[in-house]
Amino acid sequence: MIHFERFTLENGLRVLFHKDVTTPMAVVNTLYDVGARDESEEQTGFAHLFEHLMFGGSVNIPDFDAPLQKAGGESNAFTSNDITNYYNILPKENIETALWLESDRMLSLAFTDKSLEVQRQVVIEEFKQRYLNQPYGDVWLELRPLCYQVHAYKWATIGKSIKHIEDAQMIDVRTFFAKHYHPGNAILCIAGNFELDEIKTMVDKYYKYIPQISKHTRNLPVEPEQMEYREKSLERDVPADAFYFSFKMPERTSDRYYTVDVLSDALGREKSSKLFIQLKKEKKLVTDISAYITGSADAGLLMVSGKLNSGVTFEEFEAAFWDCISEFNQEQLSEVDMTKLLAKIRTSKEFQEQGLLNRAMNLSFFELMGDADGINKELEEYQKISASDIKIEAKKILRKENCSLLRVLSKKSNKNG
Amino acid sequence: MDRTIAPELKKIESIEFVEPKVYPVNDKVNLYWMKEVPNETARVELYFDGGTINGKKGTSSFVNGLLLSGNSVTNSIKINHQIDLLGGFFESGITTEGSAMSVYALRENMPELLTFLKKCISEMDCQEKEINELVQDKKQKFQVNLQKTRFLAQREFQKRIFASDIKYSQIVTPDYYENVNRIELQNFFDDNYLNGLTKIAVVGNFEEKQIQDIIQLFQPWACKKDLKYISDMQNEAGNFHIVKGDAMQSAVRVGRILFNKKHADYHDFMILNTILGDYFGSRLMTNIREDKGYTYGIGSMVAEYNNFGYFMIGTEVGKEVKDNTLVEIKMEFEILQKELVPEEELGLVQNYLLGQLLKSADGAYSMMDLYLSAQVHDKDLNFYNEEIKHIQEISPKRIQELAQKYLNWEDMTIVSAG
Repeated sequence: MIHFERFTLENGLRVLFHKDVTTPMAVVNTLYDVGARDESEEQTGFAHLFEHLMFGGSVNIPDFDAPLQKAGGESNAFTSNDITNYYNILPKENIETALWLESDRMLSLAFTDKSLEVQRQVVIEEFKQRYLNQPYGDVWLELRPLCYQVHAYKWATIGKSIKHIEDAQMIDVRTFFAKHYHPGNAILCIAGNFELDEIKTMVDKYYKYIPQISKHTRNLPVEPEQMEYREKSLERDVPADAFYFSFKMPERTSDRYYTVDVLSDALGREKSSKLFIQLKKEKKLVTDISAYITGSADAGLLMVSGKLNSGVTFEEFEAAFWDCISEFNQEQLSEVDMTKLLAKIRTSKEFQEQGLLNRAMNLSFFELMGDADGINKELEEYQKISASDIKIEAKKILRKENCSLLRVLSKKSNKNG
Repeated sequence: MDRTIAPELKKIESIEFVEPKVYPVNDKVNLYWMKEVPNETARVELYFDGGTINGKKGTSSFVNGLLLSGNSVTNSIKINHQIDLLGGFFESGITTEGSAMSVYALRENMPELLTFLKKCISEMDCQEKEINELVQDKKQKFQVNLQKTRFLAQREFQKRIFASDIKYSQIVTPDYYENVNRIELQNFFDDNYLNGLTKIAVVGNFEEKQIQDIIQLFQPWACKKDLKYISDMQNEAGNFHIVKGDAMQSAVRVGRILFNKKHADYHDFMILNTILGDYFGSRLMTNIREDKGYTYGIGSMVAEYNNFGYFMIGTEVGKEVKDNTLVEIKMEFEILQKELVPEEELGLVQNYLLGQLLKSADGAYSMMDLYLSAQVHDKDLNFYNEEIKHIQEISPKRIQELAQKYLNWEDMTIVSAG
């Protein structure tokens, strides 16, 4: 059970406070309701580039990191297709420093041309390091547009291409800030050994005077139901053939979401799962196979990915894969299977909630999804799921017409390398 | 409110370090236990003398991968099924000088899980079928790794940094995956696991009796030998480049053999290391990322072994700026040697380091890791009180002296791949 208090400032800032008396540290987590899905198709990679710029100094403070480090703390952030999340961890006595810094960059940024120019370059190097200069690194750049035809999930957080990042202009940056960075579009979560009253006083002091701006209404095109099997093959200079099956699944707030999550576990989370046993251990068609979900806010993907064993053809493997799926769709999971899946979920959840930062980030995300208390109801949601619920979902989701397959083919020249 | 004025800061004067309870398993092996966990999680780590310096070629890595492979009666599917049924997570890994298994579970399931794991690992008998599958998997992973400039650079760096000792400098080559010998694996397993347990670390809110049970359970594996590790290690200084024609970035490593926690200069060098490259505001990050935009990240570190250590800078940069990056790193060394670190910068780093140390001591899991990283070098928790003192008292002059002593370009092994 993660206890928390909730209050809202007049300017619309939602605040969560989680008390933990056991730690000498404090966490200040700020989630902005903006991600890559809020970009225009002509200017992708923007939410993420912007996250970098948020460390370049704000209206009253020339540098974000130095004062925080001086307070014994550290900070980082991440951007996804759905959100941008900034966090600070520091000794609790110095928590005001984090509030001072975070509130000032919510108030207004002070980018220079130089910081834009440098961060463009840094992000381009990040693009290369993570997506282009890695074997299989560009898979998600190719897979997204195959799965999504209209929804903004069709581009990756890093952006569609390096060119979009090169072309980012100061005026675009300012517009982006004005639209997305204001109290009504943020959730602030503070965690540590404090009293609610002191938190209220401090939050008031730093955030109260940040002007309210009306929250823009997200109006994304809904991805139409997929009606046909899609496939695409890439040829790359990699040593092994790889596959990425992507099945459409419901959005994060759907009451089907947790059932599909357990379905993916049953299929391929662990070494005792259906796909692993049948396709790797028994038939030796793959060296590795696993199933997982993307967990996105809007309709997401149930993924099955892995690599072929040498000498195995895609034809042979795919036939066996679909046989395995159709067998799975016919069978019902046993009581033992259900116990096993739930046991894993319980352990994972308990460990995830071990760290103070994770608790603060998860509370913020659940609040964005409608209610921070969702984090405390999650286990109950999982426990309600029956084997027959999973079978129903399997039949809905694990169908060829609901699937997009990306293959990465090893170039012949490299096969013996 | 004047937003340009920073809130007042409180300095960290002291940190509470919590000692684990220590129990002998035999006269050479101990169990360490941290009980105070405010939730249901538990972790048990078993350390072994199963590092790559023991055994031939890939032996240590293959044996580590076979731990849960079972025997002719109990296969790996059944073993994994049982672990999952108890909601457990099992991890294992190797380093140069040792190997380890980690078990994560809720505390209610841990005793049953450990008993089960002990039994199946003890009975593991290196089935040919499992060996073949593992070797295939590892070979494919190795081939994928060869496509990564980072892997190529690290591999070459290992070869050069440990140049004076063949056991440490051996790097994985394709022939590791040919003619793997079952008997060799079985012997390695018997010597280095079934008789090679060097330490047990338990975190979790158990009863005293349960700790005694864990000791009893694993006592038969406890190592009876005195383990010896080498102290003399010499890196091969100079420039080494691995060509990867199609790469978009070059991976760079710069480093030298150095010391570990046992050395008198350790504490102060770690402060110098932080200033140079071990935090977001470090000189290398400020120059090479935040000023020039050459890289997504650059950092420096000290890797520690039983009787020595090495210092290393690592980064991945645009191919066209690799040479400039090296020029800039060299220049940062020279600035630290010629100029005193400004008080303002040193003050920031002092506060930052104390904050990080406070975080490293927060909670039973972090505290156990912190304790073990001193214990392995025969230090107790007083080591960290000394660290606080060194952080508080270090002078710019002392940092300059250490830079002059240890950061000389001609001593460095410089590797790039791309």
